[in-house]
Amino acid sequence: MNYSTSQFKNGLKLMLDGNPCSIVNNEIVKPGKGQAFNRVKFKDLITGKTLEKTFKSGESLEAADVMELEMQYLYSDGEKWHFMDPVSFEQFDLGKESMGTALSYLVEQDKCIVTLWNNNPISVTPPNHVILEVTDTDPGLKGDTAGTGGKPATLNTGVVVQVPLFVSIGDKVKVDTRTNEYSGRA
Amino acid sequence: MTEVVTPTLLNAPTTDVYIDSIEVSVNQALSKSSQLYLHTSPELEMKRLLSKGSGDIFQICQVFRDNEQGRINSNEFTMLEFYRVDFTMHQLMDEIAELLAALGKNEPIKKMSYAEVFFEYSDIDILNSDINELKTILNSLDLNSDDEWIEDIQMHLFVHLIEPKLKEIPLCFIYDFPKDQAALAEIHGPVAHRFEMYINGTEIANGYQEIQSAQEYRDRFNEELNKRKVLSKPFEFLDHSFLKDLEGGLPYCSGVAIGIERLYSSLSL
Repeated sequence: MNYSTSQFKNGLKLMLDGNPCSIVNNEIVKPGKGQAFNRVKFKDLITGKTLEKTFKSGESLEAADVMELEMQYLYSDGEKWHFMDPVSFEQFDLGKESMGTALSYLVEQDKCIVTLWNNNPISVTPPNHVILEVTDTDPGLKGDTAGTGGKPATLNTGVVVQVPLFVSIGDKVKVDTRTNEYSGRA
Repeated sequence: MTEVVTPTLLNAPTTDVYIDSIEVSVNQALSKSSQLYLHTSPELEMKRLLSKGSGDIFQICQVFRDNEQGRINSNEFTMLEFYRVDFTMHQLMDEIAELLAALGKNEPIKKMSYAEVFFEYSDIDILNSDINELKTILNSLDLNSDDEWIEDIQMHLFVHLIEPKLKEIPLCFIYDFPKDQAALAEIHGPVAHRFEMYINGTEIANGYQEIQSAQEYRDRFNEELNKRKVLSKPFEFLDHSFLKDLEGGLPYCSGVAIGIERLYSSLSL
């Protein structure tokens, strides 16, 4: 299945140099005395890198068989991370390299988005916000107002986040997984 | 400068390779049905006036183009077009800069030749590279090099490599285009006296030192029509009445066409 430039839009998944890529930006440019071009920014779904290409209007590219499914994170044996599609009960697993930032945020039973290419999982996207527990942090002394940066806290997944001084060990905090920032108490 | 209004409905379509005229059927109920064409720019009609001694003229009018797509292209838009007798291309660029200053755009102007802009943002010697060398460069960038004519390859490289870099420049003139991209500009050696104006990477204006001889217009039109034929594009005839009107020649002049909507939005007017 092919898509021509007139069908290009953000989010469309196409094959480029053997990797599935997603269109991030599609701009049609027509020089004053020339033919139209599509200037397209892609995200390579395997490497995570962005690339830019300029196509002649009318060129076509092969579609990539990419699906994004909501799945449940089951468990990890240290080598593979296991997920289940709650609709089909089909299970998928990914190695550490493919887990990306999800490693910092996923707790068993959490829902997340697993990206499949030709039915093989290639990446995991955690939900925008997760609730995690503080396992280690310095006690914030009352009246300690030196600086406004807060203090680092280690959470139960191992990730470290800057938190306000009043946060203590055992507290549950909301974290924005896209920025690794404290988002409030939970 | 005198403001003029020229006909929008023309007897012949534009011969531009990549611009399509919108065809309209008129007078069908009178059994005198004929096909006319909405102007894609007032250029030819204004040049008829210049050849008849109008002196400096300007026009602001709607222009029409078929098969346009994209956020900043449209089937209909507003064009400002003006011509200055005895002005060089550079004098006209200076006047355009004055017009922009009057509209509040006071940033310093960057003026570069087409060759210079390629040297600045790539390592391509654009004027001295032949079509095969340029196709090799396109291929090395993993881009399609299927075009038959060098100007299309040059434009592909410009759109991919150069134009994105112009986004940071508030006001930029690029002049002395390669002769293969002359359109209706006078050619001097390897370059054409053609210029374009970019505001933050968007093409706003296109201008030339204008061709003066009717025979040169005929030759350029025929070249364009042949290319349209190769690309299986519609319409295959010249505006003969235009060529007849220009038999006396055009005075030495430079002219420019400015897209008003693009100008206004780039100036946040």
